[in-house]
Amino acid sequence: MSGNRENDLVAIVDDDESVRDTLQGLLRVAGFTSRAFESAEAFLESGHQRETSCLITDIRMPGMSGLQLQARLNAEQCRIPTIFITAHGDEEMRLRALRAGAVEFLPKPFDDEVLLESVRAALER
Amino acid sequence: MDSQAKLIWTAQPSISFASRYGLAVVSVAAALGLAGVFAHFHVPQTFGAFALSAIAVTFWYAGTKPGILAALLSSVVRDFLFDSHTSTESRLLFDLVFLVFALLMTQVVRGRNELQLRVAERTAELTQLNDNLKREIAKHNQVEAELRLSETYLAEAQRLSHTGSWAWSPPPGDIRYWSEECFRVQGFDPKGGQPRFEAFFQRIHPDDQARIAEVIQRAVREKEEFEFDYRIIHPGGEIRDARSVGHPILGPSGDLIEFVGTIIDVTDRKQAEKERERLREAQADLAHASRMTTMGELTASLAHEVNQPITAAVNGASTCVRWLTREVPDLGEAREAALGAIRNAKRAADIINRIRSLSKRGESTRQLADVNELIREMIALLRNEANRYSVSIRIDLDASLPMVMADPVQVQQVIMNLIINSLDAMKDVAGTRELFIRSESTEHHHLMISVSDTGVGLPSQQTNQIFDAFFTTKPHGIGMGLRISRSIVESHGGRLWAADNSPCGACFYFTLPAKAELGE
Repeated sequence: MSGNRENDLVAIVDDDESVRDTLQGLLRVAGFTSRAFESAEAFLESGHQRETSCLITDIRMPGMSGLQLQARLNAEQCRIPTIFITAHGDEEMRLRALRAGAVEFLPKPFDDEVLLESVRAALER
Repeated sequence: MDSQAKLIWTAQPSISFASRYGLAVVSVAAALGLAGVFAHFHVPQTFGAFALSAIAVTFWYAGTKPGILAALLSSVVRDFLFDSHTSTESRLLFDLVFLVFALLMTQVVRGRNELQLRVAERTAELTQLNDNLKREIAKHNQVEAELRLSETYLAEAQRLSHTGSWAWSPPPGDIRYWSEECFRVQGFDPKGGQPRFEAFFQRIHPDDQARIAEVIQRAVREKEEFEFDYRIIHPGGEIRDARSVGHPILGPSGDLIEFVGTIIDVTDRKQAEKERERLREAQADLAHASRMTTMGELTASLAHEVNQPITAAVNGASTCVRWLTREVPDLGEAREAALGAIRNAKRAADIINRIRSLSKRGESTRQLADVNELIREMIALLRNEANRYSVSIRIDLDASLPMVMADPVQVQQVIMNLIINSLDAMKDVAGTRELFIRSESTEHHHLMISVSDTGVGLPSQQTNQIFDAFFTTKPHGIGMGLRISRSIVESHGGRLWAADNSPCGACFYFTLPAKAELGE
């Protein structure tokens, strides 16, 4: 477990407010600092990409999808360790995400410990 | 005395003034002539007799005054032409005879005139009575003709509506009247005469007899109206459905005199009701099958909609446990997290319930429904499907929209079909993908819902065909969605139609009658 993880920013991108809020709560109790965004576009416009140490993003969202966001960040040479969470991921999508550099691909609902472990792993990268 | 009769019978109106006095002169001249002829043949002294005849004729035909003139003329003629050399006494005697005769004739003519007047009066009365009688007869004939026409119309109406009318006195009485249609409905031959109550009762299906007997006995006992449905077995074995309604007629002292009522053959109506029910069931089955097909296609999206709140609930519960198991538990934070978990678990349950109600194959039940709420629920359910195709949803719901009396599941099915069609139409377009749902009140107590998109638009030249069964432009569609949607909307008293959207895409509209329109 990293000692200075409060300084690392975890960004959450999900169009569902309840998922965003509860994820923030979970990260807070685990000692992480997080910011939540309702869409990929909102995250990109916020200018927090460079200071984000870990990105947790939904895949299917209105507008830009999580996979498109990852591709966009990669294209901008902004390689943020990314954890995908999705309610309907299939194996093909999972492989696509992992090949593009994803840390983890978690189907919703996920185990809190698995998520937090993935976040820790991402931060240690 | 009737004045008109007087005019006719007393003044000899057919004879003029001159003619009447002329008759006096002529008749006396005739008497003189005849007396002269007789004198030529040596028959003397005949003028008196002929003069009396002339006076009588003049009185009779010309009246009193010409008669008196005839008497005077006769007297003068006799005095100067026949008795000029006789004694004054003899002339006076003859004058007296003429006078007495004239007076006698005056009385005779008066008597005749009075008799004629009485006859005229009686005749006038009889004529009046006769006229009145003729009028009465004409009126009676007209009333009878109208009655016959009315009876013909009634019989025709009874035949068309399969409704017979009857009157029945309870025992010891019997059937007092049966209309022609009663015979037909009950399967009796009118030539056989009015049947007895027992014969009618025997025609009732054995399984219905006890029930009917009880209803009738109670109606007789309580002197109250009755109504019952029953089956009739016709002589050929055919079973018909009938309904009878009876109304008690009470005497001045409240005693039951008879029942009057109707018998209606409801076989065709019941058959039609059964057919309608079968059709409704078939439509409901088809609607359900279509709904299930649609929902099957939406499984992934629906699972996502359920998964979101479940994920949030699991996150909340995990967070709660973590706050509680820290070295220093934070109960406030734990409580907040637990409440969030509960809230999200309930949200998941709500979504599952919505999906379940859409999946249910229940009877169509009309209830007060808020269409705006139905739209919002459907959007919540299909939001992920819209996300899947990057479609944004915009709504403009009239907050003052009246309630409707509708089957909420079926209305949601229509909304779901229209939304899914719009999403399908937009998934391959390159430009803006926007679904716009609007609700508004319209004139004539209706409300209108429109679902418009920026998709490929309606198939050109085939706008009307899209509502036909088995018409589809989708590779895997069965072409029943819009057909079923229109059928649902129309069964609710509304309309469903499509139009081009500006600048691109299609817009589907449907109306539903507001609650007041349904007479609730």
